[in-house]
Amino acid sequence: MNNILLVARREFRQIVQMKSFWVTLLLIPIALALGPIVADSLDEDEATKVMLVDRSGGAIAATIEERFALEEDRTALARLARYVRRHGLERADPDAPWTQYDRWYTEADIASFREAGGIEGALERIDAAKEEDTPEFEPGEPNYQFVEAPDALATAEGEALEAAVEDVIDPDEGDEEASYVVLVDENYEQRPVVRLWSNDTPRTSFVTTLQDVLTTDLRGRLLTADGLSPERAAAVQAAQPAIAVTTPKPGDGAREALLVRSIVPLALAYILMMSLMLSGSWMLQSSVEERSNKLLESLLACVRAEELMWGKLIGTVAVGLSMILVWAIFAGIAGFAFSGAVADFLRPALEPVSDPLIILAILYFFVMGYVAVSIIFLAIGSMSDTMNEAQGFLMPVLFAILLPVTFVIQAILAGNSGPMVQALTWIPLWTPFTVLARLGTGIETWEVLGSGALLAGFVVLEFVYLGRLFRASLLATGQKPGLKVLAARLKGS
Amino acid sequence: MSILTVASVTKTFADVRAVDDLSFAVEPGEIYGFLGGNGAGKTTTLRMVLDIIRPTSGAITVLGGSPDRDNAAGIGFLPEERGLYGNMSAIDTIVYFGRLKGMEAGAARSAGLELLDRFGLADRAKSNISDMSKGMAQKVQLAASLVNRPRLLLLDEPFSGLDPVNQGLLEEEILRASRDGAAVVFSTHVMQHAERLCDRLLLLRKGQKRFEGTLDEARDLLPSRIDAVAKDTIEKVPGLAKAKRGKALGDGWHEYTLTVPPEGDAGAVLEHCTANSVPLRQFAEQRASLHEVFVQLVGDEGVER
Repeated sequence: MNNILLVARREFRQIVQMKSFWVTLLLIPIALALGPIVADSLDEDEATKVMLVDRSGGAIAATIEERFALEEDRTALARLARYVRRHGLERADPDAPWTQYDRWYTEADIASFREAGGIEGALERIDAAKEEDTPEFEPGEPNYQFVEAPDALATAEGEALEAAVEDVIDPDEGDEEASYVVLVDENYEQRPVVRLWSNDTPRTSFVTTLQDVLTTDLRGRLLTADGLSPERAAAVQAAQPAIAVTTPKPGDGAREALLVRSIVPLALAYILMMSLMLSGSWMLQSSVEERSNKLLESLLACVRAEELMWGKLIGTVAVGLSMILVWAIFAGIAGFAFSGAVADFLRPALEPVSDPLIILAILYFFVMGYVAVSIIFLAIGSMSDTMNEAQGFLMPVLFAILLPVTFVIQAILAGNSGPMVQALTWIPLWTPFTVLARLGTGIETWEVLGSGALLAGFVVLEFVYLGRLFRASLLATGQKPGLKVLAARLKGS
Repeated sequence: MSILTVASVTKTFADVRAVDDLSFAVEPGEIYGFLGGNGAGKTTTLRMVLDIIRPTSGAITVLGGSPDRDNAAGIGFLPEERGLYGNMSAIDTIVYFGRLKGMEAGAARSAGLELLDRFGLADRAKSNISDMSKGMAQKVQLAASLVNRPRLLLLDEPFSGLDPVNQGLLEEEILRASRDGAAVVFSTHVMQHAERLCDRLLLLRKGQKRFEGTLDEARDLLPSRIDAVAKDTIEKVPGLAKAKRGKALGDGWHEYTLTVPPEGDAGAVLEHCTANSVPLRQFAEQRASLHEVFVQLVGDEGVER
């Protein structure tokens, strides 16, 4: 046992002394932390600029702007309501529309929201009611921003108009003034045609809202032309059925809940895969170094081949678990630093893995997964004199592990636990990854126990057969084993 | 009691018999040479003694027990193919191997520092192996095999690849270990080292023992030669197998090459000459060299003088 620990400690120290270990150890949390920031910076969160040119007098443009403002407020109201519901802040104003989640907000709701001071007014009341650690509400950017049209657009016709629009939406130099230009002709009432220029395919939400505004206006005029009073025509236009809406509490929706519950298990499966690949390749490197540096005979004079194998395995598992521990500490620090938001997210995410039996299962599958794959790396290391040679063996093994595991992670993210995922649960090489990934979506106890037992049996067989291969290959330097030789070594003959 | 006993040991790999019914024993304080060309079975025998591989048949007793890693505390081993961890310091390497042989870390460290000091590497104790010259690394590896003050020192082709300075250092360490009571077994195909160091020799050919004994006993296996300047009466002296007359030197004197059979004695020939007034101007016995014995018994493939 003493020799096993000595070998393990040396293996651990050798890997920890590698620069690549530290780079990887620190780079991954940094990359994970920077990920959302980079994603945010890549997000198109600026409002799309719209230029309205109304040559018919300005009433149409005013109606369009008013309608878009209404839609922006509807979006803001819905967003605020979701925030209030997530954090249970209904007590801030039980009568406000943002505490009502049972309908699609009507114009009356929006009018009431505006009357009460809009977002600012609502936030004043919410701030007075919310706990200290409740995260702040983050209002979204408006979707559209209306900008002043240059004088040239007001009167230009024909090619001059086209050129003026081109200067706005796709100038030769500098930034565009607007993404869309909407032109309402001066004889719009006689000939209701509106022109829209866009520097890209226009967004559906923009076109449908624009069309809705113009249609309402056109129908209103037709109704009054048919003798209806303007008030009656407006009432007809405004008539719309109420839409009752039932939505799950934020985080409770089937898909959302599935994702939240699967985050930690999927992350565990992913971390297992990543740390295995990293520490396994480092172990492989050190095994190849022992062979190429002609160290093995000196070692084998002092330790048994089995002790060497166990020591290397324990050293590698220790490296992997240390990496995970460091990443967990990073995550803990991040969680502490952003306690409100993270705690709010982590609570449901940690729920599926908070049971002591589940924690036991995680530890079991994690360690067994590590051993099951590391021993393959070890056997490869014992057969290879150079890293190039090792790569030849390693690549098929990596593909065999990574591809199905990637498939499992994708399938579970997509809410699919079909026959393929079920089958992979029972194939020992992929059992640890699949069971870990499935812990969030719910896996039957008998499946966990059965696949765990099968995995244990597989690891025992690995120790017997790959242990033979390891022992037989250790001193066979300079020989490139063919399939026949490999089979003989596996058989122990 | 012998430190190492090998009794009727045979080792076969598939259809190759690497060691064939080999027997020998090594006593404390003895320096035992293991001589043979490539493929003679020297390394295989040493690996069996170390329990790295198991014999197909026969018995080996090491330090009073069967070959086992539990004996590592009493064994020092320097393999033919040498290497160390590049990113470990010299002293850490020695301590690591010392600890694998059951030593306490402190004891291994002080013994290691003492060895490095003796080898002129005291100031490089904390240097990484990768920063050292090949010669320095070889000294570190030698120190790693000696750190536990072994009772049985096994050296597989220890002189190969060493520069003359390190060869001298190694010879000194072999003699030191022997003086301290350790049994030293070293394999070599360089006859000079064996002649200089070994108390007893074992000559191997294709896994089979061809000779075991002292250097004198080995030389006695071949006829010795006497270079003489004498008159023709010498040709009649008893005890000579052959007398070959050479260059005439005048007045009846000739150069002679006399051959004494293996069971004969050059001293007896000289005594007879003196007692019977056989004229002699020169009488020099030239005994067979170990190289000649080796070539005669084993063949000259892969052998260095």
